[in-house]
Amino acid sequence: MSKFFSGLLGLRRGPWEMLATILIALGVFMLMQPFALVAYTYSFIVTLVGTVMFIIVSHFRE
Amino acid sequence: MSETTIERAAKATPPSVARKIRGLSDRAIAWIFVGPSIFLLLAINIFPLIWTINLSFTNFRANRPNREVEYIGLRNYERILTDSDIWLTMQATAHFLFWTIALQVVIGFTLAYLINKKFKGNDLWTTIIVLPMMLSPAVVGNFWTFLYQPQIGLFNYIVSFFTGLEPSSFEMIGSVALAPWAIVIVDTWMWTPFVMLICLAGLRSIPDYIYEAAEIDRASKWRQFWTITVPMVLPFLMLAVLFRGIENFKMFDLVVQLTGGGPGSVTELTSINLKREAFEKWRTGYASAYAIILFVTVFGLASIYVKALNKVKER
Amino acid sequence: MSYSLTEPSKRQKWFAGTLVILYAVVTMIPLAWIFITGFKSPADAISYPPQVIFEPTLEGYVNLFTQRTRQTQEFLEANPPEEWYDEIVRQYDMVIVGPSKFGERFLNSVIIGFGSTFLSVFLGTLAAYAFSRFKVPLADDLLFFILSTRMMPPIAVAIPIFLMYRELGLSDTHLGMILLYTAVNISLAVWLLKGFIDEIPREYEEAALIDGYTRFQAFYKIVLPQAATGIASTAIFCLIFAWNEYAFAVLLTSGTAQTAPPFIPTIIGIGGLDWPAVAAGATLFLLPVMIFTVMLRKHLLRGITFGAVRK
Repeated sequence: MSKFFSGLLGLRRGPWEMLATILIALGVFMLMQPFALVAYTYSFIVTLVGTVMFIIVSHFRE
Repeated sequence: MSETTIERAAKATPPSVARKIRGLSDRAIAWIFVGPSIFLLLAINIFPLIWTINLSFTNFRANRPNREVEYIGLRNYERILTDSDIWLTMQATAHFLFWTIALQVVIGFTLAYLINKKFKGNDLWTTIIVLPMMLSPAVVGNFWTFLYQPQIGLFNYIVSFFTGLEPSSFEMIGSVALAPWAIVIVDTWMWTPFVMLICLAGLRSIPDYIYEAAEIDRASKWRQFWTITVPMVLPFLMLAVLFRGIENFKMFDLVVQLTGGGPGSVTELTSINLKREAFEKWRTGYASAYAIILFVTVFGLASIYVKALNKVKER
Repeated sequence: MSYSLTEPSKRQKWFAGTLVILYAVVTMIPLAWIFITGFKSPADAISYPPQVIFEPTLEGYVNLFTQRTRQTQEFLEANPPEEWYDEIVRQYDMVIVGPSKFGERFLNSVIIGFGSTFLSVFLGTLAAYAFSRFKVPLADDLLFFILSTRMMPPIAVAIPIFLMYRELGLSDTHLGMILLYTAVNISLAVWLLKGFIDEIPREYEEAALIDGYTRFQAFYKIVLPQAATGIASTAIFCLIFAWNEYAFAVLLTSGTAQTAPPFIPTIIGIGGLDWPAVAAGATLFLLPVMIFTVMLRKHLLRGITFGAVRK
């Protein structure tokens, strides 16, 4: 776990990609879940942030 | 074979110079080779995409091109993301996604596992099983409405044959309760082979010696399955799940032919809903914002998919 | 055969084989039903219980290819039937007045399918070669960009394409559809072909270059013949996509350039869809793809994973 955070601080690709993946997955879940309209409303922004992040961090070094 | 001018010229040129020319032209050739593809994609994918983004901030209607176009900021996005009807279509999509993927993974993996037992003729049967997924979803979907006919349909007849139900007592497409399952059944019929093929590749990528070692360690079959087979196939399975997820998230042709989104709107998946907004109600600006939301979602999933692809490629 | 710890026992094989064959048979039922419904009369097609044994007729196929009108008894008596297909429609007091649109739509599918396949494989081979052999700047990003274009939801892309084609006069034209399908297929072509070309050892070309070949010559004299199988199977994959495509076709074509998939579900008979004719059309339309699938079986896995899974 501490390796994960030091990776984030060191701008390593692996942990940041993981974070972006989690955001995208969360956004997609929020988009289609049947529980709260509020979550649906904010799903798009979460997916968007995750996707943009993914594009940026895929240029970080391994 | 006679020499061409180029060949003669190439031979006449000292190697060092020739290499230099080739070195220079390599780069040019790379651009000449990649250029046309990129150009076509820019013209037919990226330019329209930028146009869609632009339209998504307007109240443009394609059926009234002469009306003045107003920029209305993020209002389209706001409206879509607070619309509980669209939220419902998302939930219909979620139901479709969840069950098709669950069924396809279970059946597909089981089939792959059985085929991997290498019984006689397994190649032939694999090819037969794969057939449905290569066929035109629209044509096949249309024909399934015939199979689903309550009185005369083969599907209802077979179900009644095994359960004793009256064949005209249930309508797969006409009833609110059954229609979401009708589309799940057809999609599963069509795409289980896809999951099966990828799982089969995963199973075949496991070297025999791992099982042999486990056998020598006297690990039970059950244990071998959970500690060797499942983890080794998992990256492949991820790939299949992501791809089916993306494809079914944007599902259009099969379902539009099967149910047309009905009855009511219980099988109105997002793409069908979007088509209504864009090409029946002609709310182009609004539909563009809708399209961008779907596009970003698919793009996000696609980046995860490519990551999964590369992971499998390394194997 | 040598004894192996991991070889499944005979009983396991038999059990696995039975289950798989059972699944294969069940999964084939809808396809078999399409095939046999094409040879039924409309009455047989909608009888209860569904019939497996019936008197086969070519009515479905005749209805698929012709337009017919009902005529008075006097007219029918004055004009005796000439060919076997005239006989078939006579039983409903009808005469054939001309060909239906099916032939035309099928031809459109062929033109657009082959046109776009040729173009995407041509462009795809060039691009794949460049990605495989040269240092293309930002290659990974470009490859991802190319792949992501295939993932786009067709309906979302169709809105601006619809507007763009309307401006350029490309809507409902063969050229418009060929360009569109090419754009969709290029991604698959590039990814698949890059895999195939990566597998050809570079040494061959390098030897050729030292022998004085130019890059172009090395490309078409050395690489192309080696990649022939890969190119062929990529072409079949592209063709199948263009052949089966429905969403763009239904939104962007209505007449001249309409392909068969949006057309087949609209074949109307007396009182609703003419099921034998629909089934006949579906049979003719699905058959080529089935044959291609059997031809492709060795490369199938590769095709559906964009070349990631080799084997």
